[in-house]
Amino acid sequence: MNFFKILRRSILKTSAITEKNIQMHLRWKYTILTAYFAPIITILMPIIVLNKFFEFNTEFGPWTAQNYIVFIFIGYIIMLLRRLVNEIPAELRREKFYKTLSALIVAPFNRFYLLIGYLLSELFMISIPVIIFFVLIFLFYPISFFTILFVISLVIGISLIFAGMGFIIGIFAVSNENIWSIMGFIINLVFWASCVTYPYDLFPNEIKIFINFNPIYFIIDILRWTWIENDIILTITQHPIHIFVFIIFLIIVPIVGVYIFNLIYKKFGISGY
Amino acid sequence: MDSTIIETFNLSKIYRLKRKGKKILALNDVNIAIKEGEKFGLLGPNGAGKTTLVSILSTLIQPTKGYAIIDGYNILQKPNQVKNKIGLMLGRDMIYHRLTGYANLKFFCKIYEISDYKEKIKNIAKELNLKKWLNEYVEKYSTGMRVKLSLCRILLLDRKILFLDEPTLGLDIKTTNFIVEKMKKIGKTIFLTSHNMNVVEKLCDRVAFINNGNILKVGNKTDFKNFMEKGIKIDIGIYQKKDKLKLELDQQDFIIKTKVIENGLIIYLKERKHYKDLFSILNKYLVYKLREEEMSLEQLFLKII
Repeated sequence: MNFFKILRRSILKTSAITEKNIQMHLRWKYTILTAYFAPIITILMPIIVLNKFFEFNTEFGPWTAQNYIVFIFIGYIIMLLRRLVNEIPAELRREKFYKTLSALIVAPFNRFYLLIGYLLSELFMISIPVIIFFVLIFLFYPISFFTILFVISLVIGISLIFAGMGFIIGIFAVSNENIWSIMGFIINLVFWASCVTYPYDLFPNEIKIFINFNPIYFIIDILRWTWIENDIILTITQHPIHIFVFIIFLIIVPIVGVYIFNLIYKKFGISGY
Repeated sequence: MDSTIIETFNLSKIYRLKRKGKKILALNDVNIAIKEGEKFGLLGPNGAGKTTLVSILSTLIQPTKGYAIIDGYNILQKPNQVKNKIGLMLGRDMIYHRLTGYANLKFFCKIYEISDYKEKIKNIAKELNLKKWLNEYVEKYSTGMRVKLSLCRILLLDRKILFLDEPTLGLDIKTTNFIVEKMKKIGKTIFLTSHNMNVVEKLCDRVAFINNGNILKVGNKTDFKNFMEKGIKIDIGIYQKKDKLKLELDQQDFIIKTKVIENGLIIYLKERKHYKDLFSILNKYLVYKLREEEMSLEQLFLKII
């Protein structure tokens, strides 16, 4: 089969899943609206706390009274993107209970289409607040056109990593809910120690050790560095570990996600109706 | 009609229960062969292993032992090729309740690469009296309508083999008959599981009985009719000397059982050939009624298990 035929088939099937998921989300529109506002509540406290610190000209690494809004608003965007980690398992569980997951499993298509379909539908659903907040950040702290393109690439990359994580958790949500709940707890812990809402320098040294081993921290942090440094070459050369972790996770997590999905499904199937 | 399209070889499935390491034998060395175009029914009570067998054959789950060949492909070695040949319907499930009927069918058409699906959806929905409901959310559908939509879905997929697991569960007689009539007209191989004898009797060319994971008997309708004749139930109407007749019949080898009822006797004749001997006895009595009661598949099933 030629490349274009495969590409056409992939696009067709992925778009079918994306369209279906968007239609299902839009069945109850207020649910998605509340999902937009929930992260705002989360960032309110850091805004208040950091604002108080910055009144006394405190600095946390690169974050000052002038640019901390970039930090906070990017935190909001990350929390919206985090929906992928939570929503994909929730979606798979819904599919499990209506046995539509069985319909998808017996359908002749690659699980990558499923992963990308979920990713695109979630990105579509959060696109409005993400764009609004990026525009707000841009107004506070403008960046060059090329940096914007790089930021967009990073956001898509982060989304793919989160979608892969969601997929891994998702298969446990349908096959073993014990493991799913444990994984959910670990994910909460990992995100807590990823400096989404508070800067790295605010944390005590003991927790910093944990943060330094947290890949999610590097993945999120590179987005912030890219914005405030506004120089792609500088960001890549100054933060090689960040870039390395990001690329490795971008390649590995989605592939491992699909592999684990197939493996676990084959071994344990669906349970817990 | 001659080539075998589904064949299982010692198909077994053990479910391991987490507590106390207990095992449940859901399927035990199942060997069946189904010919192309055949409508095959699998009858059994709840928990007999029907859904497990369908799940294995449709590649949803893997067997513990054995394998199956579907249209030339081994389900374990070539599951993707098998998926290209089959359609699966699990009762009224496998449809999205948050979507409209049309959106459901459109989605599956895209996934299964069905061309010109708009026209096909319209036609099939019209045939199943679902057209005016297509743009409504499935959550508003009645049970019967959901089954019809599931049937629409599976028919649209245009697969060679259709696995239908309890497709008429929870439906009223009218809708059941409607669904059965529609399925009769499908020119595909159908593997139907049910615990409704009437549905299987009306639709299927051959029937297998399954219980506790074991296939008890496989045969066509004639085989079963012959089997049924081994215990022919006869209603005899008699006003006088009921007890005397019972006593006389009880002494005969060709009578399995006798039972006195208000206006006569119910007897079970071993075989139809013994009617002559029965008549020679009944001639001595004033019999006003003699009626052979045909055994339904339901009675047969109870007899087999």
